[in-house]
Amino acid sequence: MTSQAVVIEGLGKKFPTPSGLGEFTVIDSLSLQIARGSFASIVGPSGCGKSTLLNIIAGIEPHDSGEVRIASEDGANPRARIGYVFQSPRLLNWLTVEDNIKFALEAQSIGRGDWGERVRKYLDMVGLAGQERNFPLKLSGGMQQRVAIARALAIEPDILLMDEPFSHLDEITARKMRVDLMRILERARPTILFVTHSLREAVFLSEEVYMMSIKPARIFKHLRVEVPRPREPEDPRLFDLEKDLVKEFFAVLEQDNR
Amino acid sequence: MNKRVALRCLSILSFLALWWLGSLFSAPEILPGPVVIGKTIVDNFTTPGPEEKSAGFHMAVTLARILFTFSVAMALGIACGLIMGLRRKVELAFGYWIPLALTIPTLLAVFLCVIWFGFSEAGGLCAVIMTVTPFVAVNMLAGTKALDKELIDMAHAFKADRSLIIRKVLIWQLMPYIFSAFRYAFGMTWKIVALAETFGLKYGIGYMFTFWFEQFNMAQVMAWIMLFVAFMLVLEHGVIGRVEEKIFAWRPAHAG
Amino acid sequence: MKSFTPEKLPSFLSAIGLLLLWKALSLFFLPTFLPSPLELLNTIVSIFSTASAYLVIGKTLQRVFAGLIFSMLIGSSVGLIMGLRRSVGTFFDSWIMVLLTFPSISWAFLAVLWFGLSDVAPIFTVVLIVFPYVTMNVWEGTKALDPELTDMATVFRANRFLLLRKVFIPQLMPYVFSSLRISFALSWKIALVSEAFGASRGVGKELLYWFQGTRADMMLAWGASFMALMVLIDALILRPWENRVFSWRQTAAT
Repeated sequence: MTSQAVVIEGLGKKFPTPSGLGEFTVIDSLSLQIARGSFASIVGPSGCGKSTLLNIIAGIEPHDSGEVRIASEDGANPRARIGYVFQSPRLLNWLTVEDNIKFALEAQSIGRGDWGERVRKYLDMVGLAGQERNFPLKLSGGMQQRVAIARALAIEPDILLMDEPFSHLDEITARKMRVDLMRILERARPTILFVTHSLREAVFLSEEVYMMSIKPARIFKHLRVEVPRPREPEDPRLFDLEKDLVKEFFAVLEQDNR
Repeated sequence: MNKRVALRCLSILSFLALWWLGSLFSAPEILPGPVVIGKTIVDNFTTPGPEEKSAGFHMAVTLARILFTFSVAMALGIACGLIMGLRRKVELAFGYWIPLALTIPTLLAVFLCVIWFGFSEAGGLCAVIMTVTPFVAVNMLAGTKALDKELIDMAHAFKADRSLIIRKVLIWQLMPYIFSAFRYAFGMTWKIVALAETFGLKYGIGYMFTFWFEQFNMAQVMAWIMLFVAFMLVLEHGVIGRVEEKIFAWRPAHAG
Repeated sequence: MKSFTPEKLPSFLSAIGLLLLWKALSLFFLPTFLPSPLELLNTIVSIFSTASAYLVIGKTLQRVFAGLIFSMLIGSSVGLIMGLRRSVGTFFDSWIMVLLTFPSISWAFLAVLWFGLSDVAPIFTVVLIVFPYVTMNVWEGTKALDPELTDMATVFRANRFLLLRKVFIPQLMPYVFSSLRISFALSWKIALVSEAFGASRGVGKELLYWFQGTRADMMLAWGASFMALMVLIDALILRPWENRVFSWRQTAAT
């Protein structure tokens, strides 16, 4: 049972319509299983409910039907540690970089004795050693997002959720961050659920790719990326894979629109 | 930076010069000059005035009243504003009292409270608190509406408990609103204390205003006004400005 | 009139609760000390069935509007002058800052000592308290003037006067207006204070008279009716006017 980190069965979620009078179904009977230690991407167009799915897993949004089961490493602890990196850094701008990380540590009831060491270790891992005392607004967008990643990693989560974390950065910074993310995750390997609208990003970063369509949201394809790590961004095998997936996507989108 | 300081000094000096010039051309009962006023102020401090109470005594009384009413109004206003901001039902039920309370003219509030509390200290102080509290509440309400839901979601995603969220996420977002309420409420408070002292309280700067006004003593009236204004300027810009700088050090510097 | 939605229920209930509480309290006191809602209404009606009441209100209104208009004119002019040159702005900033610190009673006293019991005293007091606010607003507005428009007008060789009329002033109008309603709210409250000290006739004088007679009921009657009038003026005249002036700012509906 503990080989699966995340199990979702028949998940359903409705939102009220803007006028407030009815409901529309955002997610309908979605099922998903993520194996422990794997890096899984969910790809889909904007607005298909990917963020909602992540929020439900993180426990900040309730769901209407179905089951969500999250297992921790040792199964003994019923509450798995979940780290979340959002699209925008969502840092507390009035706290220093190190205090931002300590905020997450305190929230997770991690002993104070460990704080100093973890802050140093994870800031170093994301390449921000020495930035402890700075305030977030003094850092660039890319650096702020790195702090957010350090914050999520510092709690040593069982599951790391990432919601299009690089979509608000410029292309060059985003590319660098992807490569850096791969390097970071070689050292710390939580189960990762990575949401993106970019097939290229999904194919480059992950082992499992789940493709999601809209209205309502459901997973229509799952495939493994067999290219071994470390991967080159320009690897032709990744490029071919992406081409095939794009074709499939358009086919499904057309079907949905009929 | 130096140019600004120089201009400010020039500004103050030119005002004094204009005043002095004006006083040369008018009768001393109409416009006493700066020197006369300065001397009057000093005299007020060094010699016991009417009823054997010196200027220092009156200033202390006024300051005590200001501090007391201000603290109470801030505490009440913040509490009310927060409760209304966080509980929609309460806001719907009692929200309209605020614009109503803000429309009540201070004169009426002072008169009514003084009569209802029988010309006692409580009456005057009550009038001040009654007038300032809704003002603070309105500011806090605006603050709660501006809370960033994304940050609260982030805190929930990391499973922060309520106390941690209040301490590290909410209070800091509300700080600018608390502060602006602080500044303006302070400005309001002492003006209303002055009014209450004029009509319903014994001793204090406002009380002295009325005393000398009824004697048509222009020099004293002006002396007390100057004293009051100077006192408040020092408090408002000296003390409050410093505190504000420290609390908001994390903000990026404004251009220009 | 907005329709009665379920959202309005809590405020409706609390209003009824307040009225009942008031009525209950008033039973413990003399009607001159704390009148019940109905008694208050009666008093108001009897006051306003005499012609002199309207004269009193009229006098106060005259002073309020005169004070308001002068404040707007003087305030805008000073604000504009302060905005034209950086050094001028910094120079007068200290004066304005000091003016903002003066309590209304200080000017009320000085005005009576200088001008006696005339109309000038309340108007003077209002102007001296209110115009600094208008000045600060308009000055802020000058700091936000669009230099690109100024450049454009200069390229087309517009002279100083045209520049002022067609480029600067329209951009400053929102700032002038944003202070209008607040200035109005401030003006009438200050007019009352000033009248209490020295005026031949006016609502403030009435309030003082009844205060000295410890007649809370009469104070409430005059106060409440004048407040209602001010709220009406704001809601029926000022707010719609403001909306019309700012209608060009409405972008496509969000």
